[in-house]
Amino acid sequence: MKLETDAQTLEDLRIFGKREQTGIFDLYNDTHTRGGEKLLREMFRNPLSDIESIGYRRHIFAYFSEHHLEFPFEGSLLDMAEKYTASTKDAGASRQQILNDKDIENGVVSIIQLTQKLRIFIDIDVVKASVPFAGEREAIITILESDVLQPVLRDKNSGKVSYSAITAFDALFRSKGQIKIEGLLHLIYLLDVYLSVARVALKYGFTYPKAHQKGSRILSVDGLFHPELKKPVANDMVMEGHSSLVFLTGANMAGKSTFLRSIGTATFLAHMGFPVAARAMEFSIMDGLYTTINLPDDLGMGASHFYAEVLRVKKIATELHKGKKLFVIFDELFRGTNVKDAHEATVAIAIGFARNSESRFIISSHIVEAAEQLEVEPGIDFLFLPTRMNGNTPEYTYTLERGVTDDRHGMLIIRSEGILDILKNGKKGRIYCNEAQ
Amino acid sequence: MSKFKIDRQTLDELNLLGKFRAGSVYHLFNQVRTRGGEQLLDEMFNNPLSSTVLINERSETFKCFQEHDFRFDYDVQVISVFREYLDTKTYNHKIRVYFSLLSRSVLARLTRDERYKKSIQGFQAIVQVLKKTTALMPLLSWAPEPFQSRVQEIQVLLKRPDMDQLLQMDIYSEIDLGTLVFYEHLLKGKLHTDMENVLSFIYELDVYQAVGMVARAKGLGYARALEPEQNVFRCQNLRHPCIEKAVGNDLLLEEDSNVLFLTGANMAGKSTWMKSLGIGLYLAHMGFPVAADSFEFSLREGLYSSINVADNINLGYSHFYAEVVRVKQAAEAAASGARLMLMFDELFKGTNVKDAFDGTLAVTEGFAEYTNCLFVVSTHIIEVGEELRGFPNIQFRYMPTILEGGVPRYTYRLKEGITEDRQGMMIIQSEKILELLER
Repeated sequence: MKLETDAQTLEDLRIFGKREQTGIFDLYNDTHTRGGEKLLREMFRNPLSDIESIGYRRHIFAYFSEHHLEFPFEGSLLDMAEKYTASTKDAGASRQQILNDKDIENGVVSIIQLTQKLRIFIDIDVVKASVPFAGEREAIITILESDVLQPVLRDKNSGKVSYSAITAFDALFRSKGQIKIEGLLHLIYLLDVYLSVARVALKYGFTYPKAHQKGSRILSVDGLFHPELKKPVANDMVMEGHSSLVFLTGANMAGKSTFLRSIGTATFLAHMGFPVAARAMEFSIMDGLYTTINLPDDLGMGASHFYAEVLRVKKIATELHKGKKLFVIFDELFRGTNVKDAHEATVAIAIGFARNSESRFIISSHIVEAAEQLEVEPGIDFLFLPTRMNGNTPEYTYTLERGVTDDRHGMLIIRSEGILDILKNGKKGRIYCNEAQ
Repeated sequence: MSKFKIDRQTLDELNLLGKFRAGSVYHLFNQVRTRGGEQLLDEMFNNPLSSTVLINERSETFKCFQEHDFRFDYDVQVISVFREYLDTKTYNHKIRVYFSLLSRSVLARLTRDERYKKSIQGFQAIVQVLKKTTALMPLLSWAPEPFQSRVQEIQVLLKRPDMDQLLQMDIYSEIDLGTLVFYEHLLKGKLHTDMENVLSFIYELDVYQAVGMVARAKGLGYARALEPEQNVFRCQNLRHPCIEKAVGNDLLLEEDSNVLFLTGANMAGKSTWMKSLGIGLYLAHMGFPVAADSFEFSLREGLYSSINVADNINLGYSHFYAEVVRVKQAAEAAASGARLMLMFDELFKGTNVKDAFDGTLAVTEGFAEYTNCLFVVSTHIIEVGEELRGFPNIQFRYMPTILEGGVPRYTYRLKEGITEDRQGMMIIQSEKILELLER
């Protein structure tokens, strides 16, 4: 089963990089082979939503993180093998045109070497002993012991292969053995992904989250941080039982969006069975993950920002109505309308969301007044990111605290730019005062 | 007076310039036929005038051209040949001119050299254009000053004896080498400035008639410039000139009512109205026709806008900062005592609603004190308006939204007051979101 998500979410969490900007995918991509990279990308495109598949992957990653192993092949070897096998898939007639003798020789030699090295690799004690990897090891052995690869494993003088032998192997590999060899390559790519992700986890100190059954109402993170930051600040958060919604407040620069991205990214990766940027994490598996952090105005469609937000809320409400369990993030909900509407709408939507106790919601907002009305609701927790004023310069701790804050610095910036002073001291015309005051 | 202040951002937001940009104001008026006319139009667009006299004079000229439905019927091809002929240099000494033309005529016969032909064509073009211009002169008797003096000047020039002979030439009979040499030397030498003068007169005609024609086709009106001290801005049925069937609105801004506080829903037409004001004011300062039934304005020293920036909300916080910087520039310009028109659309939209509220309020209050300036501010945060009610010099207008069966419809007609459209909750209710969550 697949975790439901959408383009907006992938964009918000910056899962895939764009142009100069790198994404979360790039952070985890330490693969040696192109096939491995492709597989990894597939995994990022298809986060999971059932405990078995998540657990299966997670255990393999964790095992390899624990028992450090190097990928036993050079990338170039696989490139040659890939080129060789890929040409086999093309129509028979054009085969000779694509591959010259040199290519064929390289291809055959690389497959021989791959096979022999893989044979050695699966007999390493650590690999042999691995319970999570046992299934795939078994699959590798089945292929290695098949008729097609027997002559390869028998061949002892590795490196130098005679021209006649190449011709014989070529015929073998590209007719009878084709499917087996492709299967073998796929397993090697998977191994590349496993080892690469395991390595990344060790390098950055990531942890493997513990998945719980759907609907078990668990979400807790310990020492969560954003994996792309140089000096991240870690945060803890627990949303257990019936507390399903967190109302987050804090100034613009206080780190709300970063925190929301961190928890969103961690939840996304956890649903892939991947290691996450935290000390520990436990979560109930969800049906979907939706974030709204940087919602663009859709002016081409004639819809305003507010309308875009409303449509997104509606989409989520529809999913919830179907009984889906979701993890939902809204940054600065309803900023596209006036204060009063924003207030009323925030309260109404937050209360509506919070009643879905098997889902999890985080809403950030500046409307502190909404918090007063939400306090009486069960299932709503309040967190904030504080600002400490050091004279006129704000300093941020980036550490979550319980409660509500109405810190804002928009006016501070307007003042520190001296706009109001400039206007106050400029050459004015005749002055009219606000008579209401 | 100093040059009218306007910057790249404002020009872009109002889409004033831009030859190749569809929908730009320049594009609307660019109906000129000649290259030189286009250059002149460029120059006018890049240099708004800063004297009431000059503005009203130019505006009057356009008006007369429109009223008399003057048609520019020069052959554009001939004019460009004329231009080219003047631009190719020749020798100072007649003898050298003679030999160069002689060698060209020989070369033309022997090879495929076209230069001799070009000389003949150029000369013929000049004769044609001069004849045409002479014939045109009586038709321009209605031209108002100062263009009338320009007409007189050209008329005098054409009546000079050395011109007379030229005008008598029949280009369809044979022209011998001697004549060609004589005129090549004369036209590119002694009479060069006069010829340039005739050409630029034609370019002027081109622009005047083109603009007059656009004004007629689009039903544009003419602005009247008033002295800066009067500090007034009055328009009736002002529209966006580039929008077909645009809805017009009236407005009066004076010293004791110099701030327009505009509210309305997002799509209700606030930005378009502000752009109409900006474009109207800019065109008026160029002495160009404006899309209004009437338009009177005191001369301004500059125009600042902040309109489209707000549409790009993705930039988030840095966007807020960019807006602050923009407001600061405007504040500095206003504080210098200059008489400006300032327009802010949906200030601080990128930030949270409360900072936007405080920011808009503080900035509006600050600018409202500058009664020398006209100030237009729009926002969807209607609460700001309530706070500003006490200022006698702030006018409140809104663009209404009419909900018909849950679907919003917009009239684009300004109404007095602050909007009471509570579109936000209405949309949420009409989308039945709360019912979906209630299960």
